[in-house]
Amino acid sequence: MTHEQHPVLAAGAPPLARRRSPARNRMYLLALVPFVALIVTYELAPLLTLIVRSFIAPKTGVFTLQNFAAVFQKKLYRDAVLNSLNLSLLSAAIGMLVAFFGAKAADEATPGRRSLFMSILNMTSNFAGVPLAFSYIILLGNAGVLILLGRQFGIGLLESYNLYSFSGLLLVYVYFQIPLGTMLLVPAFQALRPEWREAVSLLGGGPARYWFRVGLPVLLPSLLGTFSVLFSNAVAAYATAYALLGGNYSLLPIRISEQFVGDVIQKKEFGSALAVMLMVLMIGVTMLSNRLLHRPTRQGAAHEA
Amino acid sequence: MKHDGKQRLNLTVMALVSVYLILPLMLTFLYSLFQEWTSILPTGLTLRYYADLFADPGFYMPIVRTMIISTVPVLLCSLITLLAMYVVVVHHPRWQKIMQILCTVPYSLQGVILAISVLALYSGLPLPFSDRIAMLVCTYCVLILPYTYRGIQNSLNAINARQMIEAAQLLGCHPLAAYLRVVVPNLVSGITVSAMLSVSLLFGDFVVVNIIGGSYYSTAQMYLYKMMFRSGQQTSAMIVILFMLTLLISASVLLLQQQRQRNAQVKQEEADGIHTV
Repeated sequence: MTHEQHPVLAAGAPPLARRRSPARNRMYLLALVPFVALIVTYELAPLLTLIVRSFIAPKTGVFTLQNFAAVFQKKLYRDAVLNSLNLSLLSAAIGMLVAFFGAKAADEATPGRRSLFMSILNMTSNFAGVPLAFSYIILLGNAGVLILLGRQFGIGLLESYNLYSFSGLLLVYVYFQIPLGTMLLVPAFQALRPEWREAVSLLGGGPARYWFRVGLPVLLPSLLGTFSVLFSNAVAAYATAYALLGGNYSLLPIRISEQFVGDVIQKKEFGSALAVMLMVLMIGVTMLSNRLLHRPTRQGAAHEA
Repeated sequence: MKHDGKQRLNLTVMALVSVYLILPLMLTFLYSLFQEWTSILPTGLTLRYYADLFADPGFYMPIVRTMIISTVPVLLCSLITLLAMYVVVVHHPRWQKIMQILCTVPYSLQGVILAISVLALYSGLPLPFSDRIAMLVCTYCVLILPYTYRGIQNSLNAINARQMIEAAQLLGCHPLAAYLRVVVPNLVSGITVSAMLSVSLLFGDFVVVNIIGGSYYSTAQMYLYKMMFRSGQQTSAMIVILFMLTLLISASVLLLQQQRQRNAQVKQEEADGIHTV
């Protein structure tokens, strides 16, 4: 989708009103007041305080890096960072893989089937958070339907499956990554022209050559973009993990919220440092995918041409 | 022949993904309809759990609260952004870039960071700053800002706001009046779509409401979370009801979008291909 810059909004266009009445008072700026108030009080101020607070020592109020050091010194929090990173990378990778083939199939399918498939994706993308966690509990929890089936038929893998673990979380996370990833990738596949495939086969190349030399390089920006969206989506996900495991599994969003609400003694400075780490992870993956995109390679040159 | 096999493969992939995605939903629905599911097949078909929910007076308030808290911020945010856009469109086109950045930041903050940073800043302050409901409404406004902004901006891109206001000004109209009477009505259908998307986003929110609302404002999602520890069947019934409501919201978004496309087509035909969307 391209957002064509409209003339009226293009930088440099002369303002409409000022031209007619240069000496008019600036009453019109009042229209901006609610917006500025909202942005300052609920976006900029909280965010800046959070960042500043992460560098402040709790008692003395002086500048320190101790809050960040503490994240790595305690196993509980080190685990939270590592678990969040692993869970998000893995669920984004698996989600991407399924989404790739799903989107490819949808792109090549008849319009009727594609729109049915898209409706299913759209519908199930609404199924997340607490309801999703609960439905996996009745499916694979301690008395879950599939667990019962496993016991009945002696399927060891199902019988002893533990949903309340890393693999359980991964399973549930992959569920919400698939619809999102597929919906994001379907439009990207439309950029692939059938002529290209014909051209490759005319020059004697098979499907493998087409995909590695043409298809994937063209899709690369969308694939990387989708991956970073899926990663951010997983790394900041809270409701699903909270409903499934409460505080019993160390994940960044859960540990962050614990520092500000609930029964544990509040440690705002430490919590802020954890939150900054989460932001760094999200920004880091986004920047990394941008960097990969602009790395000068032969393939890169091919898709930029 | 080869083409046939490929179509079959595509169909299989789509069918597998669909089954995988629908299975948990179907199961939750089935679970809410039976009294017991302790062997392979469930037993005791009943609508009791739905009846129990509807008979429980405690069931309605959380739903009403959810409806209020998922619509008020959306209306507020649309109004605030529209007013701000007036200044940007009419008086300061150069501010467009800053506006875009400010409106997209919340998208990369995600619910959890936004919620804790607001709570950490305001919970210790005196009223009205520490009022949880005000905090919740304003945080939601910021959370949906990227969608609201996109909706308005995309609709603005599709019309020639500058010409409209210029024409109205030539006829002696104040630019604000021209904006409100001529430009805004043209944006309404586009804003409605993004607003409905925001409503469905807030309708399913648990992060922000759990962190900021806590016990001060118990929504349907909070009610659901507490119910999880009591009765499996009851929870399933509640999930089905909430999911149906979400589907109603997304279905109306889809309808609105289709209607918009149709309107756009008609307009385009009228404009005789001068205007491309």
